[in-house]
Amino acid sequence: MTNDSDKLSAEVQRYLDGEGPADGIDSSACAEADRLLEATARYSERLETPGSEVDRAVMAAIGARATEERESLWGWLVNPHVFRVRPALAAAAMVVLVVAGVLGGSLRERAPAATESAALPSTILVRFELVAPTADRVSLAGSFNDWLPDGVQLTKNPDTGVWTGTVPLRPGEHQYMFVIDGAEWIPDPDAHAQVDDGFGQTNSVIVVGPRGVIRS
Amino acid sequence: MYRVLVERYRAEFGRYASAMLDGDKDDAADALQEAFIRAYDSLASCRDPNRFKAWLFRIVSNQCHNVRKRRRGHLSLERAAEHGEEPASRADDERADIGEVLGMAMNALTTEQREAFILKHVEGRSYAEIAEMLAVGEDALKMRVYRARDELKKRLEELL
Repeated sequence: MTNDSDKLSAEVQRYLDGEGPADGIDSSACAEADRLLEATARYSERLETPGSEVDRAVMAAIGARATEERESLWGWLVNPHVFRVRPALAAAAMVVLVVAGVLGGSLRERAPAATESAALPSTILVRFELVAPTADRVSLAGSFNDWLPDGVQLTKNPDTGVWTGTVPLRPGEHQYMFVIDGAEWIPDPDAHAQVDDGFGQTNSVIVVGPRGVIRS
Repeated sequence: MYRVLVERYRAEFGRYASAMLDGDKDDAADALQEAFIRAYDSLASCRDPNRFKAWLFRIVSNQCHNVRKRRRGHLSLERAAEHGEEPASRADDERADIGEVLGMAMNALTTEQREAFILKHVEGRSYAEIAEMLAVGEDALKMRVYRARDELKKRLEELL
């Protein structure tokens, strides 16, 4: 327990909060406060903090769980199940199955149309650019590479300070950000659209069509 | 996408977790890992995405408190077995490092005082920010910090 005599005065507390001056505080009390601040600073310097091994372990655990769930779903699908259906419902189910068979047949007749799109390339090469003359390293992270911060390293033009990189993307909408020096995540200032990622940050958006970039 | 959040908030809460767990980096890593997995499992319960950080901090904080409780149990058993030594007495051998002495002195704080002191002085956050993170009023928070400082000042006098 702390006695009243051990307590720091209100002036010293304000000083420690950075809200009051040291002037007017008894010199020994001020020295005690400074010693506490120095000890805290030294303590903070010594602190070791967890690194990227935490990120890898978390993503591996989540990934393993997703695999287990997929396997469990697959097991449910391939293992035999017994369904008990009342006769009246069974008759109704037969009608539904016959209708589905007719519709399925008509859908299959349209299948050749889908093969036409197969002739188009499955990915489009997209070039990304960022002006960052003072950066030592710039990479691209996005929905297309599981947001790996070092997934796509960009190359710097030393004369212009422009970083560029080309990435094969599937047609569709993709979200991305640039990562500067492995730490600072920024959206693309030239992107046509920025979206809130739902967690207080902003992602840039690019839309790729089967024949090239539609909006970037 | 979740990887981005893990990376951002592991960096942001790493110091807090380490300081809460006596500077033990491995324990801090375990606590953070467990917290991020729990957060992932209960993302649907984060009703206000704008308060995601405070929501996640509460999970990290709870996890650190759980690890401290578990360790306290282990420590008391070990101490009973060894007719243990008071941790503070180690300070005699380690006078040179005032930072390490503060680390030992912090063991005299309650978990709430320790948390408030770390967020205020080790992390350098404002009272308003901490009050939001801990979901307490600023006056109550200041009282925790003041009491922590009083206790630490007293312990430093004894140990140095």
